[in-house]
Amino acid sequence: MLNKLLFKNQDRKQLVIAIIGAFMGITFLITSIHYLIKVNEFGEGEDILGPNTIIVQKEVSNASTLGLSKTDFSLNEIEKMKANHFIKDVKPVLANNFDIFFKIDDPLVPPFSTVIFIQTVDPDFIELDEIDWNWKEGDEYVPMIMPRDFIVMLNTFMSANNIPQVSDDLAKDIKIVFELSNKDNSQKETVKVKIVGFTSEVSSLLVPESFMTYGNDKFSDGSKQKITQIMISGEESKFGLVEEMLKKRGLESKDSQMIVGRLKSMVGTLFLVVLGISIIAVFVSGLVLIQYMQLLMSRNAYEVRTLMRMGHHPKKIIRMFFVYFVKIFGIVASLGLVLFFIFKFFLDDMFSTGGLYIGTEITIGSIAALLIAYLLFAFASYRTATKGIFNEY
Amino acid sequence: MKIKLDKVMPQPLASIKHSDKSIWGNEIELSPQKKILLNASSGKGKSTFATTVFGLRDDYSGTITYDGRDIRTLNVDDWTEIRMNKLSVVFQDLQLFPKLSVRENLLLKNSLTDTYSEEELKQHLTMLEIEDKWEQKCGLLSMGQQQRVAIVRSLAQPFEWLIMDEPFSHLDEENTQRCLKLIDARANKINAGFVLTTLGDDHNFNFDQELNL
Repeated sequence: MLNKLLFKNQDRKQLVIAIIGAFMGITFLITSIHYLIKVNEFGEGEDILGPNTIIVQKEVSNASTLGLSKTDFSLNEIEKMKANHFIKDVKPVLANNFDIFFKIDDPLVPPFSTVIFIQTVDPDFIELDEIDWNWKEGDEYVPMIMPRDFIVMLNTFMSANNIPQVSDDLAKDIKIVFELSNKDNSQKETVKVKIVGFTSEVSSLLVPESFMTYGNDKFSDGSKQKITQIMISGEESKFGLVEEMLKKRGLESKDSQMIVGRLKSMVGTLFLVVLGISIIAVFVSGLVLIQYMQLLMSRNAYEVRTLMRMGHHPKKIIRMFFVYFVKIFGIVASLGLVLFFIFKFFLDDMFSTGGLYIGTEITIGSIAALLIAYLLFAFASYRTATKGIFNEY
Repeated sequence: MKIKLDKVMPQPLASIKHSDKSIWGNEIELSPQKKILLNASSGKGKSTFATTVFGLRDDYSGTITYDGRDIRTLNVDDWTEIRMNKLSVVFQDLQLFPKLSVRENLLLKNSLTDTYSEEELKQHLTMLEIEDKWEQKCGLLSMGQQQRVAIVRSLAQPFEWLIMDEPFSHLDEENTQRCLKLIDARANKINAGFVLTTLGDDHNFNFDQELNL
């Protein structure tokens, strides 16, 4: 009866407009947040380096070949790059200043050995969640991150020898040693090495900085080490600016790294725009719904006043208005969620067809955004209802 | 519940000269279970009395107390409890819901305390000869019929006082007597009192007290 008294005789045009606005806003809000998160997650976990991280070096020109221009980085150059707002961090990539020999020392794998080149990067740039990236003198193994190209080469070698190829997991169990030596071979040391991860972004073997320092201290000829490569970590969705800076400074990187970064940056920006529009749409439609609540209360001022005079508690009437509008928003949010799932079905398929294999699981962020929008609306409804009803008291 | 008016003077009536016997500006006590007639000509403040004692107006000087408690100190919970169980009212403008039926108007009040069954409410309407209006919208009833609905609604709750502001103004004498009989019987049954404001007619009822404005 109370529902009939307060809500039956109303002009629903404004309500319908607000509901449509909220419905569309909510749908796009969840969709854009979901895909924004998914795009940012794209590439994560597949490589040991962070998804927004690239290794760059100076472009080698004829002038640099002739020694007329430098190909190494000064500390001043690194600091200048770091000062840009779209750069998270810049760190030098250190290389070995001593001889190092890579050798497979496993009875199950045919003997393989080669002179190699090792590098080390700052631990901040490595996804270290499941890796023990520490080493100190006396440890049984030196942890090592291997370039994926290296394992491909190893598998080609094994295949040519009629030996079964190895997966990433099996490769981690191959017994490997490094033979470290100085230039005149007067000093030598053999250390055991364990593969802890793989990377497509670095062409050399990566080892902990402590091991590099140990090797350089013990086996180098004392010459000053040059920084020829640096690692740059860019801010999310600002890869375009990073790319522009690289171009301006005559720096180059692996194309695959650049393409992923560029793609993520573009799609991320697109979804950010959609997100911004969605937030405005949800906010405006929420505001229209709240305004409609005020209008409804003002049209029912006589009824509300009389009910309270009859002995109906104001809180009961507040609850009536609050529940009515929270229910409407709840239904709108649920319908928005359903439409999001329909969108998701088609969009996931579209991304997958286009070669972007993003995860299909629902992101907590999109559901959290829906909950936050709902809670904010519930709070605003309660405040508006309380104010409106007590105005009539 | 004892209602006391201590030198109460509503602001809109402050400029008017009131008699020594007027309730305005004097000390008046409404003792429990009394049946009181408030007799005055138009513009003397009968509706002001009803709305002020019912706690709808605050524009007065002096003090009104319920059982010694200043009604200005009552909070929302107190007023809800009082209006639900202790003080009932028939407003001069009746304050029914015109878009709801007679049944819905009565049940909306009755549902707060479950004072009557639907059958008993119908019996009340029968006594006042408007039982056929049970499903009719209040907005379509005549003023006299609406007054009778408002009276039945005011009885559909427990109360210690019933304040009625010219409730019979659109009723003929026969219907007035029926209503008064119903009100009196209900007041006697629950040991309640009532205040009836009129324009001078006592409706041949034996009131315990007569107040003037």
